[in-house]
Amino acid sequence: MKTTWKDIAPVPTSQEFLDIVLSRTQRQLPTQIRAGFKISRIRGFYTRKVKYTQETFCEKFQAILDGFPRLQDIHPFHKDLMNTLYDADHFRIALGQVSTAKHLIETVSRDYVRLIKYAQSLFQCKQLKRAGLGRMATICRRLKDPLVYLEQVRQHLGRLPSIDPNTRTLLICGYPNVGKSSFLKNITRADVDVQPYAFTTKSLFVGHFDYKYLRFQAIDTPGILDHPLEEMNTIEMQSITAVAHLRSAILYFMDLSEQCGYSVADQIKLFHSIRPLFANKVVYLVVNKIDVRRPEDLDPEEQEQIQEILKSGDVEMLQVSCTTTEGVTAVKNAACDKLLAERVSQKLKSSSNTAGTPGGRLGDVLARIHVAQPMGGVRETFIPDAVKDLKKYDKDDPNRRRLERDLEEENGGAGVYNFDMKRDYTLGDADWNHDKIPEVWNGRNIYDFVDPDIETKLAALEEEEEKLEADGYYNSDESVEDAEDADTRMKADLIREKRVLMKNDAKMRKSLKNRAQIPRSAKSKKLSQLERGLDSAGYDIDAAGDRARSQTQSRGRSLVRDDAGGEDDAMDLDDPRAAIARAKSRARSTAATDRRNDGVTDETARTKADRLFKLGQKKMNRMARQGEADRHTTASLPKHLYTGKRTIGKTQRR
Amino acid sequence: MAVRAQFENSNEVGVFARLTNSYAIVAVGASENFYSVFESELQDVIPICHATIAGTRIVGRLTVGNRKGLLVPTTTTDQELQHLRNTLPDSVKIQRIEERLSALGNVICCNDHVAIVHPDLERETEEIIADVLGVEVFRQTVADNVLTGSYMSLSNQGGIVHPKTSIRDQDELSSLLQVPLVAGSVNRGSPVVGAGMVVNDWLAVTGLDTTATELSVIESVFRLGEMAPGGAGQGPNKESIVESFY
Repeated sequence: MKTTWKDIAPVPTSQEFLDIVLSRTQRQLPTQIRAGFKISRIRGFYTRKVKYTQETFCEKFQAILDGFPRLQDIHPFHKDLMNTLYDADHFRIALGQVSTAKHLIETVSRDYVRLIKYAQSLFQCKQLKRAGLGRMATICRRLKDPLVYLEQVRQHLGRLPSIDPNTRTLLICGYPNVGKSSFLKNITRADVDVQPYAFTTKSLFVGHFDYKYLRFQAIDTPGILDHPLEEMNTIEMQSITAVAHLRSAILYFMDLSEQCGYSVADQIKLFHSIRPLFANKVVYLVVNKIDVRRPEDLDPEEQEQIQEILKSGDVEMLQVSCTTTEGVTAVKNAACDKLLAERVSQKLKSSSNTAGTPGGRLGDVLARIHVAQPMGGVRETFIPDAVKDLKKYDKDDPNRRRLERDLEEENGGAGVYNFDMKRDYTLGDADWNHDKIPEVWNGRNIYDFVDPDIETKLAALEEEEEKLEADGYYNSDESVEDAEDADTRMKADLIREKRVLMKNDAKMRKSLKNRAQIPRSAKSKKLSQLERGLDSAGYDIDAAGDRARSQTQSRGRSLVRDDAGGEDDAMDLDDPRAAIARAKSRARSTAATDRRNDGVTDETARTKADRLFKLGQKKMNRMARQGEADRHTTASLPKHLYTGKRTIGKTQRR
Repeated sequence: MAVRAQFENSNEVGVFARLTNSYAIVAVGASENFYSVFESELQDVIPICHATIAGTRIVGRLTVGNRKGLLVPTTTTDQELQHLRNTLPDSVKIQRIEERLSALGNVICCNDHVAIVHPDLERETEEIIADVLGVEVFRQTVADNVLTGSYMSLSNQGGIVHPKTSIRDQDELSSLLQVPLVAGSVNRGSPVVGAGMVVNDWLAVTGLDTTATELSVIESVFRLGEMAPGGAGQGPNKESIVESFY
């Protein structure tokens, strides 16, 4: 909630207001217009002037209206304080006048914009504009008094102390001249004027101080005289406002020495008359100036009156002397403690659920600061004695302990140094620490065989072994390989090696990249190859050569006449040869064949063929090689044609 | 004595170390800085063991132990177990346990007298805990979290629980454990107090981010410094705290 209004913009006087608005219109809008311009342009020019002036007025008025606090929106304390200081009605009327002026100016503007629409010449337009602005200026000039008042209010408001109505507050009140301000001066660092005459303090003053890590505000109020509320002046009313509205601890100051000029009886009377305002508050009766007169020194009648106040139980008496500062801290602490306790208990009450435990955020806070103490005794602790006389590690000590980190630094730093994991082993003998023990021995996990009795078992085994050795158990003769076997073995090795080499050679030669694997018998051969083969085998090659030549089909047009479509008439039915030829040339339908079972004699042959087929595929499947049966898609976008920078005509050829 | 430390830029000290009254286990890091923090604080009082569990560095979360024993999960390799056995004193019993909830540090929180365990822990495991660690075992939750080891940090002198633990739960746990408890945080507000710090009866190591306030709460509840027992909210400050925080 807002507690200060220091940031309200200054309110100009009506004359300044006019100057600001009109000069802004002049500066911000075009000024050049000629009678020869189109009439719509001229109208637009002046309409804009009127409208802009109105907008500026309204904007400024709205800023004033927004800047001042709305009395119904602020805390009752501030509302009443403003009412006391500035008179709420006056304040409201001033703001209301500003608001009305704003509306009037809007109406004027609307009217004149409408009139300018019908103007026929530049002169008419100009006169209408003049009239419009003139009326606006008149309205503004009439605001002279409210604006002056608002400026004064603004200045005063800015100088009001920032009083937070909800925080922890000590409120000092009492008759004039009883030492309220000097008490504030004593407990806070507020620079309050302290003078030995009544009504030195004419408004509220605020000082701040810390107690138990919390910030408290102490408010010094002007003195109050004991008369009815209606007769109180502005200065007293401020005190009353503060007493009535602030959630605070009230310190009612009394001066028993009567140096202030008011009798003890009067002061007690005042206490009783403003007592209704103290409802639900922490109240202290603070007796000031005890260096002059203490309550004990009072005459019995007055003492009885004071006792009557204290009798109710919710008011306590404290004694203080601001000149000797005796009891100042005691008063402050007592008041703060009681106020805190009061506020905390209220908070606990307001946020407790039906079960009586505080929930929500307060519950969280309480849970965080709660220390659960066990009912029974304490648990035994196990702190080694060495801890008690442990010397604290000091990294600047030249004889300090060498840490692992120092070792690391000496041996190349992090990432290079490898710490010795086995250094700190406690095996009984430090030499054993670095003994190498295999993790797995002969395929067996050593750890599975770890046994507490391993030593005795080992001893037994060794004993047995020694015994066997002594008995000559291991002295059997070894079989000797004879020369023949060795020779055979050697040859076999050679053969195997040669085979492997040949196989590798063949593999290397293979240049069959992705082409079909065609059996040698199905490949075409040259005649020369055939002749060479026959020749080397000792056959006559001429006949074979002739036959091969006669059988080969020459490329191109046939050199002899086709005898089928020859001299005979195709319609001649009697020629049996022609009929046969015709029949041969016609495509015959073939019977459906079962290619799976054709050519095999029976089921066993079929399964055998299947097995052979699979066997043939086996290697290819295992190697996952690409074969001729595999689908192969060539690149649809040849990379060299589609990459790189293109100029004209380079898409297809590069 | 409470110190701040960091394991390779991580504040979760309780993840990478396990501290008891008779030994400390520290993860193998890229440098020896973390190990040396323990070394300089403990010196030769108790052995400090560089170890991995199941090849990982999160030794604090996978193991649980106290003065009398150490429990390691079933994933621990034979070599790691052998290394631990060789390094730790013979008075410490080491046991590898077959338990489905293998992050034992997360599910078990113990001091030398009592253990608070995850409610779903197997009965056999519970018996092993009681035998090996020599403690009374209670199945409990901390602030409705089953991971008691993560959300609670315990020594023989005090304990810290999850910051959102209600007062009733705190009192209940405290009466079970017979040590004072506070709800607190480590590492600048982290609620995983078990994983954020390690503590024994004379030393606490917390993450580097731990604030001075958190550290003072830790020192007072575990009675590590010269500070008297009691928390931040004891005595006259309670009102101020309520007043300023609410």
